[in-house]
Amino acid sequence: MTGLAALCAGGPLISLNSPALAQGQDSAVIGWPSDVPSWDPNQRFSPDSQPLFKLVFDQPLDQDPALHLIPKLITKWDMAPDGLSLSVELRDDVSFHNGDRMTADDFRYTFFERIKAGHAVDTKSSFGKVSDIEVQSPTKAVMKFSSPAPTAPTWLGFLGSYIVPKKYMESVGVEKFREKPVGTGPYQLVEYQLNSRIVLERNEKYWGPKPAVRRVIFEILKDPSARVAAIQSGQIDLTINVPVRDIARLQREQSLAAEINPITRVVLLQVRNDEGFSDRNVRLAAHHAIDKAALSKAFYAGSAVPLSIPVSPGSAGYLDSYKFAYDPELSKKLLAQSGFSTAKPARIKFASTNGHFPSDYDMARAIQQMWKKVGIEAELETIEYAKYFELNRAGKLPEATLYSWDNASGDPEIYCGYLLNPKLPMSAWKDPAIGGEITRLMAATDNKARIEGWKALAKDAVEQGATIPLLQSVQTLVRKKKLAYLKYGNGWVLANSMRWS
Amino acid sequence: MLRSVFRSSRVLIGLTIVGILVVCAIFAPLIAPHDPNEQNLVSILLPPAWSEGGDPSFLLGTDSLGRDVLSRLIFGARVAMTVAVLASLGAMIVGAVLAYIAGYFGGRIDALIGRAVDVWMSFPPVILSLILMVGLGVGLRNVIFAIVAVDWTRFCRVIRSEVLVVRRKDYIAAAQLMGFSHPRVIVKEIVPATLPLLITLLSMEMGIAVIVEAILSFVGMSVSANTPAWGQMVADARQTIYEAPWNLFLPIFAIFLAVLGFNILGDGLRRTLDVRLIARGRT
Amino acid sequence: MLTTIVPLIGRRLIASIFILLVVSVLLFLVLHVLPVDPAAMSMPPTATIAEIEAHRREMGMDQPLWDQYAIWLVKLLQGDLGTSIHFKRSVWGLIADALPATIELAFLSMLIATVFGIGGGLLLFASRGSYAEPAIDLVTIVLLSIPEFLWALFFILIFGVALNVLPFTGRLDADLRLPEGSNFLLLNALFSGQFAIFWNALKHMVLPCFALGIAFSPAIMRVLRSSLIDVYQDDYIHLARLRGVTETRILLGHALKNAILPTLSLMGVQFGFLFGGTLLVEVIFSYPGLGSVMVDAVRNADLPIIQAVGLAYCVVVLVINTVVDTLYLVLNPKLRAQ
Repeated sequence: MTGLAALCAGGPLISLNSPALAQGQDSAVIGWPSDVPSWDPNQRFSPDSQPLFKLVFDQPLDQDPALHLIPKLITKWDMAPDGLSLSVELRDDVSFHNGDRMTADDFRYTFFERIKAGHAVDTKSSFGKVSDIEVQSPTKAVMKFSSPAPTAPTWLGFLGSYIVPKKYMESVGVEKFREKPVGTGPYQLVEYQLNSRIVLERNEKYWGPKPAVRRVIFEILKDPSARVAAIQSGQIDLTINVPVRDIARLQREQSLAAEINPITRVVLLQVRNDEGFSDRNVRLAAHHAIDKAALSKAFYAGSAVPLSIPVSPGSAGYLDSYKFAYDPELSKKLLAQSGFSTAKPARIKFASTNGHFPSDYDMARAIQQMWKKVGIEAELETIEYAKYFELNRAGKLPEATLYSWDNASGDPEIYCGYLLNPKLPMSAWKDPAIGGEITRLMAATDNKARIEGWKALAKDAVEQGATIPLLQSVQTLVRKKKLAYLKYGNGWVLANSMRWS
Repeated sequence: MLRSVFRSSRVLIGLTIVGILVVCAIFAPLIAPHDPNEQNLVSILLPPAWSEGGDPSFLLGTDSLGRDVLSRLIFGARVAMTVAVLASLGAMIVGAVLAYIAGYFGGRIDALIGRAVDVWMSFPPVILSLILMVGLGVGLRNVIFAIVAVDWTRFCRVIRSEVLVVRRKDYIAAAQLMGFSHPRVIVKEIVPATLPLLITLLSMEMGIAVIVEAILSFVGMSVSANTPAWGQMVADARQTIYEAPWNLFLPIFAIFLAVLGFNILGDGLRRTLDVRLIARGRT
Repeated sequence: MLTTIVPLIGRRLIASIFILLVVSVLLFLVLHVLPVDPAAMSMPPTATIAEIEAHRREMGMDQPLWDQYAIWLVKLLQGDLGTSIHFKRSVWGLIADALPATIELAFLSMLIATVFGIGGGLLLFASRGSYAEPAIDLVTIVLLSIPEFLWALFFILIFGVALNVLPFTGRLDADLRLPEGSNFLLLNALFSGQFAIFWNALKHMVLPCFALGIAFSPAIMRVLRSSLIDVYQDDYIHLARLRGVTETRILLGHALKNAILPTLSLMGVQFGFLFGGTLLVEVIFSYPGLGSVMVDAVRNADLPIIQAVGLAYCVVVLVINTVVDTLYLVLNPKLRAQ
């Protein structure tokens, strides 16, 4: 492992003797739609980067393919009934890539010290109420919270929660850590070119099951058509988020398997509660005007389920009985009540990503036309996905933004409780009333009442136009038939689960 | 002179192409079979009418939102021609006025304008226009402004040196001796002498403006999303390059045709008006 | 000779510094009209308004524009281009990674433009007066009407999609590993003896380089032709003919040498344009150079990057112009004689 040795020594990487490694049993090349925001895994909540971080780092808790919470670096956890403390037991056989042992000190550093030290980390919003972490032994720790945090375990297996090495990060600094990240994960980073490629090699000393593929190369291909071209010409072995339209064609290729998989991601419009959308009539009119079935048919080959609440079908918080109607006539009526018509349209701004998830921009333009027909004139602009948070922070989001929300955990709290929580960066809706109810439900400890509460909140939010759910998202995936992988309900595509046959 | 201009086959070909596009642009709502923004989500990416699976009501097929490609091409000519005409005229006026001032008066004002041109020329035009669009925000008016702000130097440089030559001619000295005011000398004597050059440059600048607009709309920094533009059509079609290569080919061809029209016209004018033009810079 | 050239280059350099200063002021002004708030954008999502205000003061954003500019300039001179809002990385590092890729692309393209330009120019000149002339002339106008990004898309359609013979994304095949060392991939691979990488990288550059090269060659063709026509009016061509030198030798041996000078000065300007043309070609071919960085930054409204990359383009163009001017002086027999 020359790469490892060089990485640890902090010296220049020595390139392997043979540059042209044969593709095949030993390596897999994956075409990935986006780069990591940085190699500090706590820094930014970026759903697309989670499957990359999970290779280099480990989370305290993990999820199985059916999305149940399972042990990872934490073997046992126990939430106090009042929700104010969480005691955890950590594995004793885990080392970071540089050889340092992973202990409860690293756990404390990651989820408490970094946040207190004011590092620019998004985990500040998930673990901001950690008042201390008591280290009882190298494998035992107790997390203390300033207010009840019943979902803290869920968060330990969610966005951005990866244990980073205290000693290494403190000695080299965050800046250097981003250049040469060190984790406990099944792979380690051996080559990184911003916006271009990521090369990982198997961590031969990994504590858990060793991956079958020794070397994984991620080619960052932002352009969907570039990903299609690359998989078709055999330059890459697997890719995700290709246009749905291409799937049928790629299925006819002998050596390829092309799939459309429904995942726990929902596509919705995040809306503001002010400016052009301060009027409830306009918001509801905007919702009634959207023909979700037509969107699914046109852009997802009909495989994406139209939604009436922002929760994915089949998950605990889903409401089968509730339907929000597609009714353009009603839209017109509602708009007329507020003095708008096609001749005198309500004017709003509307943002969408382009290429962040399949057909996003096309869908946004289709919605723009549907609105135009009932009397809502939307000015559409495209933004990069990461800019959503930046705009929201600065209070500069448009009235509506086409957004996809990934709830890898499937828990109802992580749908409405995040999407509509005025305190969180993903919520464009800044209403203290809903915020209060969310705070109450987040602290609720009775599980059944909690889930019923979330269902009621979701329905109520839709009826006041606080959110406009559209479709359950699908993930398209194309791979060489010989490369098998494990399918996760949340769309994670993990290289350590891949295997050549 | 005028007659010889219209006898040139190049000028005629150029005028024909440009004329067709201008007619498309002006009468777009009458010519186009559909509303260019009308989406038809049930008939997406239809091939041209004559090929298998085509629909006769969509002569050149539909795009990824089921919009009629032919109508979008026709409406796209509006943005292209508006930008071509207005931006080029603007660049010509700014560039030429500065060139007349610099060339006629010389001295410090000439040096100052020369320096300004140097500063501008140190920027690749695409980069400068992109940065301007970032600052100004999207929209037709801003595109035109950005192109004027970038391309006035093309006129300024060439015309200034022409003015320097003309200024030394005897009849200018004579006019000055007769006590004509400076503006009058410029307008009555110098402008006519540089007119052939001006017209030729204008025609070529129109081609460049079409390209710049296409580039900007290709990266999404031109007109807003619901104004059909060729560059946008190219950007959209790139996403469906495998299923619908003709969707990519058609707007490419439209851009090419427009630029070709202006270039042939410019070349014809150059020959018949006997203008000596060395370089033609690209975007 | 040196005594004439050195002061000229010196003057040129001083002018360049002046130009860069003005450009930096313009860039700063244009970008600070933007309706975005870099202070808010560079803070973590949970930052309070008070924290953002404090950060804004830290960034010097509460001060008048001129002071902000002065701060930026001083940092710039110290080699600190700031930190990207989006990537949280030093802008200097981003540019240092991307610029070599763009320079390689631009140089190869210019080589192709030069070869086609000179070849085509000679052909144009040789065809003067013949029946083929109008046809060949028309071809150059047609070529002149196809900008580089249309060539790029056209090549992808033909060679990438339809024939599938050449790669059209990135710098290397996915299964190849980028060699350590500089980002001048071709040079690096060549000098470290990794020919497989060199060959692969070269294949990736064929389509983008030809798109750029072909797009910029017609202008060179035309200048070369007209300067050849000028040169042929000189007496020594007649003398050579009288001495019985063959037409080919006159053309290639005498005339070309003299006609190349005006062509060279045009190529300087063209190279500047070509360098700007790499922007779109990089985006189209997913080629990780300065243009890709720029377009990303534009979409993210990442001001520090936009400013710095804008300036980087200017520096390169000014360097090219200075080099071309120097070459012009060195090659110009009249100046050498002085």
